[in-house]
Amino acid sequence: MREKETTLYLGPQHPGITGNMMVKLKVAGDTVVKAETHIGYLHRAFEKLMEQRTWTQSFPIVCRICVPEPDPNEENLARAIEEIEGREVPERAKYIRVLVLELARLSSYQLWMAGQSGSMGLYTMPQWTVGDRDYILDLFEELTGGRIYHMYIWAGGVRRDLPDGFKGRVLKVMDYLESRLKDYDKLLFQNALFRKRAEGVGIIPKEKAIEWGVVGSPLRGCGIKHDVRIDEPYEVYDKLEFEVPTHEGNDIWSRAMVRRQEIEQSISIVRQVLDKMPGGDYYNKVPNPLTWRIPPGDAYVKTESVRGEFGYYVVSDGSDKPRRVHVRGPAYAHGITVLEEVLKGANIADVSFIMNSLGTCPPEMER
Amino acid sequence: MLEKENKFSEQIQKTFHSAKIEIKRSKRISVQLRSDLIPPFLSYAKELLDFKHLSHMSCVDWLEDNELELVFILMNYDTSIQIIAKTRIERENAQFVSLKKFWPQLETYEREFHEMYGINFEGNDRLGEFILEDWNNKPPMLRDFDTRKYANETYYQRPGREDAQNVRETVSKHSGEEVPEFAKKYSIRNIDDE
Repeated sequence: MREKETTLYLGPQHPGITGNMMVKLKVAGDTVVKAETHIGYLHRAFEKLMEQRTWTQSFPIVCRICVPEPDPNEENLARAIEEIEGREVPERAKYIRVLVLELARLSSYQLWMAGQSGSMGLYTMPQWTVGDRDYILDLFEELTGGRIYHMYIWAGGVRRDLPDGFKGRVLKVMDYLESRLKDYDKLLFQNALFRKRAEGVGIIPKEKAIEWGVVGSPLRGCGIKHDVRIDEPYEVYDKLEFEVPTHEGNDIWSRAMVRRQEIEQSISIVRQVLDKMPGGDYYNKVPNPLTWRIPPGDAYVKTESVRGEFGYYVVSDGSDKPRRVHVRGPAYAHGITVLEEVLKGANIADVSFIMNSLGTCPPEMER
Repeated sequence: MLEKENKFSEQIQKTFHSAKIEIKRSKRISVQLRSDLIPPFLSYAKELLDFKHLSHMSCVDWLEDNELELVFILMNYDTSIQIIAKTRIERENAQFVSLKKFWPQLETYEREFHEMYGINFEGNDRLGEFILEDWNNKPPMLRDFDTRKYANETYYQRPGREDAQNVRETVSKHSGEEVPEFAKKYSIRNIDDE
């Protein structure tokens, strides 16, 4: 006998949901038959707002497009402006930018570990990782004045130089985070229960991954080696040595394994940046921000965020305000097209689990 | 230096004679096409040139030209080269064909541009309410949609928080403290006066 189909609304107020969004599920028993992503709860018209702000005024807006990892937004906008204008950035500023991006990446991994574990009921992990993330936020507070949104990277370089003794404090936090990896392994990555829950769940068919627009660790979890930092190096990534881990399996477990190895790579990158950072200027002064005009042109720039390719398509018409700033967050594909496909046939209990592994982040879907 | 970019450009030019091609920099090729050539071009780029990854699709309103510009950004995984394919369509009653058969995520972009720019994508059956709720006004991303006017007509200001009020002066009035000299220099009013 065919089971009766019921409609379930997961979110927008649900502990398992990844932010202010909702997934409308059609279920038969415990099995999802159809899923539809609903967004709009967090639309703040950032892109429209930027068309009415000066170039510099757009920086405090873009960082709000991603809460766990806001810095790729600032870096993208800055680099797009610099590309259209042909502005050079001092070498030291490029190193500082990479330092900030990698610290943001590490802090975002902490939140991912919290979400991935929390969505299967392993609540110790969120306590640990959110606590450990605070050490990185302390560094951000010292460097930029802000814990979550930094408004630190801007066109021409970064807003201020590293404080005295900052290098030593960053290294201390890196040592601490590295020492914690064995604890994370015991609790999560070597946990048989996690493996049992994650293997074979949330499968993205490898042959469909590229066509669906899958990027970042979900793509590398399908065994496809692609990382913007390697394939189109920006800032000073071409001067740093690091590996791009991949894992075959196409499931949540594979994505988790890829991210676990990426944490180690990020720690190594931070140490290399601090070791190789040259002296000199940290900012190539831009003209008066209130009257600064960018020549007509367009640019598509991208960074590798924790969840994958974060792109900005920026158009200037020669005025003091952007003509268009259009954000490509990885979640735009992951949270709608991919999620709706991957959830077909999934168990209801795995929905939040799958969403966390894909990094479905609503602010970058609706901006 | 730009060997691979040049090779792709030549191949595209041979097939699409009317295309205006520019190598903007390493790994970026800009291709401007007539709107009717976009579907065959995307198919050609994906299947024959191996640009399998759709990075992004965008829309830009050129109000002064009465046109909307559709932008497709594709990537070739072997070379990491990206093509930025652009076309312009009429702004009034904007119509375009749905291209979701090439990349499923184009369906989402088309839903967004239908709602935000009023473009009707023929063949996309999910056009409708997407991000906005109960919206019956002009598509808001069009440049002649006046956000400030809409906000003023729709929402009310909390007393004491009216727009264009000098925040420092208001705070100083409430607190009874004078605005410091250095701060007076940076007030919004002074910037406008300049």
